[in-house]
Amino acid sequence: MKTTVLGSGAVLLLGIPLISYFVAPSLKKATGKWVDFGAIDDLTPGSIEMLTYEFLVKDGWLVLPQRGFVWAKTNQDRAIKVFSSTCTHLACNVIWQEEANHFICPCHSGRFDSHGNPVAGPPTKPLSTLESKIEEENLLVYLTF
Amino acid sequence: MNRATGISHVTLIEYLSLERIVKRLSVLTVPADALTWHRFFGALLLSLLVLLFLSGAFMAFYYSPALGSAYDSVDYALFSLPFGGIIKGVHHYGWNLFLIVLGAHLVRAFVVSAYKPPRQMIWVSGVMILLFVPLFIITGDLLTWDQKGFWSTQVRLSIIGSIPFIGDLLVRLFQGGPLTGIVALTRFYVLHILFLPGLLAFLILIHFHFIKNNGLSYSFSSDNYSTKTVRFFPVIFNRWLILFMGITLVLGLISWYWPAPLGDPADPTDSSYVPRPEWWVLFLNQLVTIFTGSFSVVGSVIIPGGLAGLLIVLPFIDSSPERHPVRRKRVMLCAAIIAIAILALSIMGYLEHFSTPHV
Repeated sequence: MKTTVLGSGAVLLLGIPLISYFVAPSLKKATGKWVDFGAIDDLTPGSIEMLTYEFLVKDGWLVLPQRGFVWAKTNQDRAIKVFSSTCTHLACNVIWQEEANHFICPCHSGRFDSHGNPVAGPPTKPLSTLESKIEEENLLVYLTF
Repeated sequence: MNRATGISHVTLIEYLSLERIVKRLSVLTVPADALTWHRFFGALLLSLLVLLFLSGAFMAFYYSPALGSAYDSVDYALFSLPFGGIIKGVHHYGWNLFLIVLGAHLVRAFVVSAYKPPRQMIWVSGVMILLFVPLFIITGDLLTWDQKGFWSTQVRLSIIGSIPFIGDLLVRLFQGGPLTGIVALTRFYVLHILFLPGLLAFLILIHFHFIKNNGLSYSFSSDNYSTKTVRFFPVIFNRWLILFMGITLVLGLISWYWPAPLGDPADPTDSSYVPRPEWWVLFLNQLVTIFTGSFSVVGSVIIPGGLAGLLIVLPFIDSSPERHPVRRKRVMLCAAIIAIAILALSIMGYLEHFSTPHV
């Protein structure tokens, strides 16, 4: 009985600081920021184009460039919709194939149509659309990380 | 008697207070059928583990777990050091072989009913080890920081992340945040070389504890079981040494002919890289592909979890004293169906990922 109490005391004494120490960075909320993708005049109406980004992200004790890309769909009326490149199945990057008129995920052959809706393969959720806005003729996209 | 020191072996043993251990070892005997070929899987696993520990520990001398440095440090150890390729190769081929032998060890124990009372806990502790091993691969693959390691990690983490309710938290705990960056690499590194090996050693100790107290399973011709025994030291021990040298040579030669792979440095933007699942995980990967939508949980959690659970509780479901596989038709049939399903899924996965060209 005495040993149980003392033992539990020892476990708590060690456990609380050690587990907090280990877990802390995992509980940080995801943050995001508006990333400038340049002039909207550079986008071709009626097409889907790959826009790459690179910005600095603080990862623990390092500030490193985070690189990636998004897909910008520009309609004939110049309305812009931005899709995340992350496949909703297992997070591979989807690629827009003009000839096939589909986004294709190379990992498990998932396909999405030009609206981002899944049409074939394992994915069932549509590609997520990213919040975007136009400021001073530049396209800004809100990226979370 | 050692002429230089004048200390005999006997007194040296006394100085080191080893009399009791030496005496216990000298009278320790095991059943003679411990020397049959299919009983060598355990010893082989132990040999492989020693090789994995050694090669890993020495690779750590040259490994630098930091972005921008990790890949180069692996490259340096691989190409600029004597035996660099062989030591990495032994580690690489070693764990692949370890998985195969682990499977054989399990199949053998199943076929000869080594899990029947009183040896249930030997089986359970063994299955725990089996379920624990993938953690080594998940954490180890990222360390080279090459394309394959990085992108395989992404796929594995998103499978873990698809577990309902706790998936996202698990991934964050594992990576120390949302990114696969420096915090994640450091975590994977310290888990791979410190925490996991420590836990594994503990699990193996438990496995041995149960073996020691419950004994090896009897051979089917149990009439000569009680009569023939061999001494553990030196008979069994010498066999282990031969086995160890043999497997070291084999792995060394394989690594010499086919150097361990090291891909291009990881590039998180390179979407053209398609991570191909490894052979041991093909069936799980295929399960994840088959079940989609709201059923995806079935493929990613329920079936794998069910299988793991079934393995663990097997000795308690099938506790009949019947041991010969011919007289355990129902159990053998169930196992055969599961084995065929796993094999079929693996072949499907292989065909999908390795033989069809990707667009």
